[in-house]
Amino acid sequence: MLTEIQQGKALNSVVKHITQEKINLYAEASGDFNPIHVDESFAAQTPFGGTIAHGMLNLAYISEMMTSAFGRSWVSGGKLRAKFKESVRPGDTLTITGKIDCIEQESDVSYANCSFECRNQRGETIVAGEAIVKLSSGKE
Amino acid sequence: MPDKTVSYEELAAGHKFPPATYELNASFVSKYLRAVDSSGDGFVPPLAITACAIATMTKSIPLPPGTIAIHASQELEFLKLVPIGTTIECHIGVTQKIARGKMSMLILGIEVFDKGKEKVQSGRATIALPA
Repeated sequence: MLTEIQQGKALNSVVKHITQEKINLYAEASGDFNPIHVDESFAAQTPFGGTIAHGMLNLAYISEMMTSAFGRSWVSGGKLRAKFKESVRPGDTLTITGKIDCIEQESDVSYANCSFECRNQRGETIVAGEAIVKLSSGKE
Repeated sequence: MPDKTVSYEELAAGHKFPPATYELNASFVSKYLRAVDSSGDGFVPPLAITACAIATMTKSIPLPPGTIAIHASQELEFLKLVPIGTTIECHIGVTQKIARGKMSMLILGIEVFDKGKEKVQSGRATIALPA
């Protein structure tokens, strides 16, 4: 977890290499067997030209970064808003980064407003968004 | 299973899909953690819960075969830590359906409850489809 929560602080980045095996594992775990993710011959006929990773797999990596930074505050008080901008293909390497943009105080509760991004090895933005984490309350 | 009570053309704001129940047992969590290449922290990862909700959503939408649906955006709020072994119920409803040129945007509301009927997660997914 972060030892210092302050404006401008970068979150520890997460790097993941995507393979078809990981996509298949995610399909099995989530029950989402949409052929665009798991059927290579079907996916080859689509505008994507091949299988793509589930958007929620990419989002899981972002949540991993947030959990690592904020622990249970993220799991039971986090909010996120994400836009999926590009697809992820097997063979891609994703780097997930984030930072605390500001800390806001409302009554006796403080919130960390963060931004995050997931980029591939070509520097293209795959997912971008914002997250809010409820940090503490004087009543807790 | 797709909701056979309505076709995609008939889907409109306010439509609720049949809820789906999932048991988030140790085997499910372990499988999920292996899939996302993560070690876990002794509770159900919030995105594992979302994965169940999204699976409910993708199975429910009555799309013509071969249609490619693109997950365009996602909003989520995690309300409660969920222990391993919890049974959840995922509720999905159509919030908005917008036609934009050759594309159609389906905005779906997501609510997940535990057995005690406490809301553990809520969100909104935007799905882009050919019109």
